[in-house]
Amino acid sequence: MTTKGMKSLSARRLGAVATIAFALVATSITTGFAADPSFGKACTTEGVSTGTSSTSLICSVNSAGKLTWTNVRLGQSTGSPVAALKASPGTIEFHHFRPEDKAVFASIIAKFEAANPGTHVNQVIMSSNDYTNLGYAKISVNPKAAVFVTVRGGQFDQFYNGGMMRDISSDRFVRQNVIQSALTPATVGGKIYGVPYQSLFNDPLYNTEMFAAHKWTVPTNWTQLLSFCKTVKAAGIIPFAWPAATRGNAGQIMNSFLMNSAPDVATLTSRIQAIDTGKADLTSDWFTAIANKYKAMNDAGCFPANVTGYNDTVAPADFANGKAAIYPTGTFGMSTVTNLNPAMKGKMKLMSMITVDEKPLYQGITNNTFILSVNKKATSRDQNIARAFISFLTTAAAAQEYAVGTSQHVSIINVNYSANIDLLNTSDIMGKKLLLAPRFLFNNVGTVRNPLEDALIAIGGGADVTKTLADTSKTIKQSLGA
Amino acid sequence: MLYKVFKNSLLTLFAMAVIVPSSIVVLGSFKKDNEIYSDPLALPKSWSFNNFRTLITEGNVFTPFKNSVIVSVFSVAITLLFASLAAYGIARMVTITGRLLFLLFSLGLAIPGQVNIIPIYHLFVKLHLTNSLLGLILVNIALTLPISIFILTSFFKDIPKEMYEVAGIDGAGHFRIYRSIALPLSRPALGATGIFLFVICWNDLLYPLMLITQLDKKTLPLTLIDFRGEFATSYSMLFTAIMVASVPMIAMYIFMQRSFIAGLTAGAVKG
Amino acid sequence: MAFPAVAVYSFLYLYPAIQNLLYATERWDGVTKPEQVGFHNFAHLATDDDLFMKIVGNNIRFTLIVVIFQTAFSLLFATFLLKNTKTTILLRVIYFFPTILSSVSVGLIWTFLYNPNFGFINASFKAIGLDGLALNWLGDTRYSLYAIAVTQVWFHTGQMVIIYVAGLQQIPADLYEAAEVDGASRWQQFKSITWPMALPTTAVVVAYTTIQSFRAFDLVYSMTQGGPLNSSDLIVTSIYNTAFASFKYGYASAQSVVLILVVLFVTWLQRRTLRIDYGVK
Repeated sequence: MTTKGMKSLSARRLGAVATIAFALVATSITTGFAADPSFGKACTTEGVSTGTSSTSLICSVNSAGKLTWTNVRLGQSTGSPVAALKASPGTIEFHHFRPEDKAVFASIIAKFEAANPGTHVNQVIMSSNDYTNLGYAKISVNPKAAVFVTVRGGQFDQFYNGGMMRDISSDRFVRQNVIQSALTPATVGGKIYGVPYQSLFNDPLYNTEMFAAHKWTVPTNWTQLLSFCKTVKAAGIIPFAWPAATRGNAGQIMNSFLMNSAPDVATLTSRIQAIDTGKADLTSDWFTAIANKYKAMNDAGCFPANVTGYNDTVAPADFANGKAAIYPTGTFGMSTVTNLNPAMKGKMKLMSMITVDEKPLYQGITNNTFILSVNKKATSRDQNIARAFISFLTTAAAAQEYAVGTSQHVSIINVNYSANIDLLNTSDIMGKKLLLAPRFLFNNVGTVRNPLEDALIAIGGGADVTKTLADTSKTIKQSLGA
Repeated sequence: MLYKVFKNSLLTLFAMAVIVPSSIVVLGSFKKDNEIYSDPLALPKSWSFNNFRTLITEGNVFTPFKNSVIVSVFSVAITLLFASLAAYGIARMVTITGRLLFLLFSLGLAIPGQVNIIPIYHLFVKLHLTNSLLGLILVNIALTLPISIFILTSFFKDIPKEMYEVAGIDGAGHFRIYRSIALPLSRPALGATGIFLFVICWNDLLYPLMLITQLDKKTLPLTLIDFRGEFATSYSMLFTAIMVASVPMIAMYIFMQRSFIAGLTAGAVKG
Repeated sequence: MAFPAVAVYSFLYLYPAIQNLLYATERWDGVTKPEQVGFHNFAHLATDDDLFMKIVGNNIRFTLIVVIFQTAFSLLFATFLLKNTKTTILLRVIYFFPTILSSVSVGLIWTFLYNPNFGFINASFKAIGLDGLALNWLGDTRYSLYAIAVTQVWFHTGQMVIIYVAGLQQIPADLYEAAEVDGASRWQQFKSITWPMALPTTAVVVAYTTIQSFRAFDLVYSMTQGGPLNSSDLIVTSIYNTAFASFKYGYASAQSVVLILVVLFVTWLQRRTLRIDYGVK
């Protein structure tokens, strides 16, 4: 295993414009590798990988142009992984927004508590909608919340600006257990304020079995996507189970619309920032074109009837029960689907949602998020328990239990995904050109992103594009001026 | 005849509007998700307590229940005490002070307590009353005092003057009259107000939502909000959670409904 | 005797209310130092905030609907259920039942009932052939507010029925007996006996329902979060979002001051039009 020097982290939000943060670099090897038994017999899909450990394999094209298994080369941490820190007795709270992960965290916490007698960690879980809106107001007054989670972008900034995050740069587990490129979203002025635990892929999931049965192929451009919707709808199936009534999840699809909407990522970033600060209107040609595509999808029958009343309860259920072909959220939705219908295990893959007809700039979205931080306002004893707990989570064993148990990729090294077929099936996205989720470039979540997403939801549900954008733009500007 | 048909159909309709959704919840808590979607009113294929088992093992329901009881009981008891004292004072003081006091509390009736959420939040952060049941009780008392005083004052005024005066001639002080005349006579009114307040405190979401984050201090409505996140994709679990959160209250209601309602109505007639 | 009440009330009701007025003149994000901006927040609210105007409008419509229907239904039901028989007591118990549920439960239940895809309401409409009424209740900007108003009326009518029954039972029975002898119709009896005699109760019911509607939060929060496109946003949800999601504490406080003014105005209007005497007799 080779080690690589740390990147200069002084440029803040560098990761925002970086392409693949979570790059698994493959090198060809000469010795023949037998494929992992749980992995299927042959290597058929480029990019599929079995994990982040030195023995992990990735499926890639060799010099002869054929797909072969190759060894994953890691270059992501600054030294060998270290063991978890010891915690002194005491009780802390761990605040996060993943109710789906409760049981897996409970099991990891039980192991942490067994290793540290007298130490207790209580999970406090809010729904992700509530967490987005209230996380700061609630956690900032609760010093017992020694470990909390933020998402990349506006929410991280808010907690950072509120003086809530302890600098954990000098902790060895941060440097040595975490894939270094993944730390960028939690780095300010060269200092690290959290561990982005998850490596997400915010791309639509599709039902491979259904696609095979109907001989559908994944659309590769905008025209194909619209005609695909017509075909699927004609078969009596919902093309996109878009949970438009639940803003938090409905907004994920915007990533795909944004990723190829500008000539380059710098332009995209500056356009988003212009809207975020009120310098630009939603009625700009660029944004209107995006909104028109939501409308076009609705017109093409991509979404279910009454989509604006179609929520997070119904959408994954329809997808899990074979009533919908695509569930456009991301890898983090897989466990929900398999919980609803265990038969869906192994039947989901990620698709590149291409919303342009020209050659796309990017083929998918990734995100380093679920940033674990230590609460600077907690007592020093609680902060130490918090550090120990995060260090425990960054050990390969705990991270692997988390990854396999929740069907989410992680940014911890030496994790083996092969025990979870859905993680394997979706790993091929790592072989594609990915953009760090642009949705999180909006920092003004309450004043700008929420109304903006509400407008896109309404338009996706059939509202008039021009009027909705004009009204919302006015609201945003007025609200920024207040 | 026509009146009877009108009356009975309307009464039945509203009764159904209450019974049907309630039955969906009760039945749903024993069902699997797809059974709820296909026919919410059908009996479950098999009566299984699996949902309850999952909920009780996964979610701690006892602590929030206990917290809700503590907050509601103390809030109601203290409010009733303070409000009846003040109402008695107002009802008996025909002076300018009494009028001023009534005006002062009427102001609170006109200002919805919810508008104070921002200052209360910051005040409580300063006083370390966030994540505290005492904090919630204090807020509840302040919020419900105006309406309680409003109800009780009009009640005390309805007690015939002679009854107070008879006692007054005997040389009894205000506290004595309050305790031996006003309180016993107003038991039904106190009961009615108490139920009113209990329902408000029991259901309050806004203030706990802002003031409580700590797990061991959460009240039932907050826990239900958590369940909503946790079981977002499962109505069978959501219905089970609603059942578990409501059953104690329902039991109390069925058990005490005579004193709840009969006391309220009969008492009002006598009063 | 009023001292404990006055003390708690002053410290936790009046003092915050005054504090609110001060906050309303500041620009404050809760983290950095507050900045004095005088009447800027109010000026902005009045001249440059279409969304807030829309929300005030929403709340007024919501209040009107809830007050009218809740009061009418509860008075009607109370006249039906006036006598204490087994049936009437049972019905009162049933009607009162929703009141004991937590508002979050009610929100969750009605979100299920309203679901356009498998909800009970649309399924029932379709079953009786009224497919046209199977609407997207909570997901359509045209219906969301009314859908929540229906839930609110369902939620609290039983409580008001009990209050009315208590009030109506105080009306001496011989008044009705005399009217019956005079051959007065039911409507005449209602008009000349029930309505005027029940006015004090109506005062309580209307006042209570009005305040209840202006402070409505829980149902919106658990059913639509104000959406879609703020069509079901009410003043308290707006205050809440402005303060705690957008971190504009000063601006949110200004909104609460507006709420107070609106409520005072509406109560004054009610007193005038209904000629209800709230004051001391």
